[in-house]
Amino acid sequence: MEHKFVTELENNQNIVHKVCSLYTNNRDAHNDLFQEITIQLWKAYPKFRGEAKFSTWMYRVALNTAITLYRKSKKRVQTQDVDSVIFKIKTDEYDDTQEQQLKLLYGAVKQLGDIDKALVFLYLEDKNYTEIADTLGISEVNARVKMNRIKSKLKTILNP
Amino acid sequence: MMDELEMLKKDWQSKVEQLPKLTYEEIYSMIWKKSSSIVKWIFIISVLEFIIPHLLYLIPSARDGMDFYDGLHLKKLIIGLTIIQYSVVIYFIYQFYMRYKEISALDSAKELMRKIIRTRKTVKNYIIFALSIFLVTFLLMAIGIYLNDSDTIISVLGLQAKSQELSNSNIKAIFIVVLIAFGIVCTAVLGLVYFLIYGLLLRKLEKNYSELERLEV
Repeated sequence: MEHKFVTELENNQNIVHKVCSLYTNNRDAHNDLFQEITIQLWKAYPKFRGEAKFSTWMYRVALNTAITLYRKSKKRVQTQDVDSVIFKIKTDEYDDTQEQQLKLLYGAVKQLGDIDKALVFLYLEDKNYTEIADTLGISEVNARVKMNRIKSKLKTILNP
Repeated sequence: MMDELEMLKKDWQSKVEQLPKLTYEEIYSMIWKKSSSIVKWIFIISVLEFIIPHLLYLIPSARDGMDFYDGLHLKKLIIGLTIIQYSVVIYFIYQFYMRYKEISALDSAKELMRKIIRTRKTVKNYIIFALSIFLVTFLLMAIGIYLNDSDTIISVLGLQAKSQELSNSNIKAIFIVVLIAFGIVCTAVLGLVYFLIYGLLLRKLEKNYSELERLEV
């Protein structure tokens, strides 16, 4: 059973890395959260009966862990500095306006609450509202309403 | 905003290559590591809290405490109270364990939140219970002093030398006041400690719960 689990996780590890990069600000925290999600996945694995795709199931467990079960490390530095693994953009790309704008956008997403972030994450993963609602256990209408609110929130953060 | 989010989506999906890549061995070793989730810590702390005070009984001076209760004719009452206290604390530890077992990342976020609220309620009840039993012990001591005559109290506390200076009724009154004041101060300090330990653990859960609650409105 371990072998099957680890192989599947190895093949789908991008999902977990992406969640980690959204919810943490440095490499240490990233690795911590990755480990916590892996443990939670392993703990829940006996209950996973292959009804859903392994990756779909992973989205749910990974996000739930990030939202509720994960203890952020004490030395949490609340900097606006976006320095996580995935968001790193080299400074020499500054002149490029699109890069600059992306940097601002990622920064704005980072400022959202944990649950808002989960919605944005699933949106960025190109999930439709049915899938988003299903993963988070809310209704589809709520998912839409919430996403619209997030859009205006992001707008406010970007143009204060 | 729509275009910007689309742009972000494109960029997000193009960044997959930049993600770290862990090997089979690295992931394999991870599944045997210990979890550090919030609810697990609540459970661990409650067990520690139960065990640590009992280590104090290994120190001889703490054992003398029972002689003190005996002198005040409170021994039976205190033993009774201790038995009740132990059963309730064990019940709470069991409850924390159940909450920890029950909370599984497999649930939908909403279901998970509901269980977290249950955990919070359990923690709250536990704190209220622990603080009350602490205060009640002090009150019982005060009542014990009130019901006993001054000579017993003077001999129990070993104050024969000083007793001439004060009248007997004064001694009783002073001890009762001091004991109650001390009890209240200690309960407040303990309350603060609980607030810090459990409050900090529960803060993140609380914030996300209210966020999710707003989502459902």
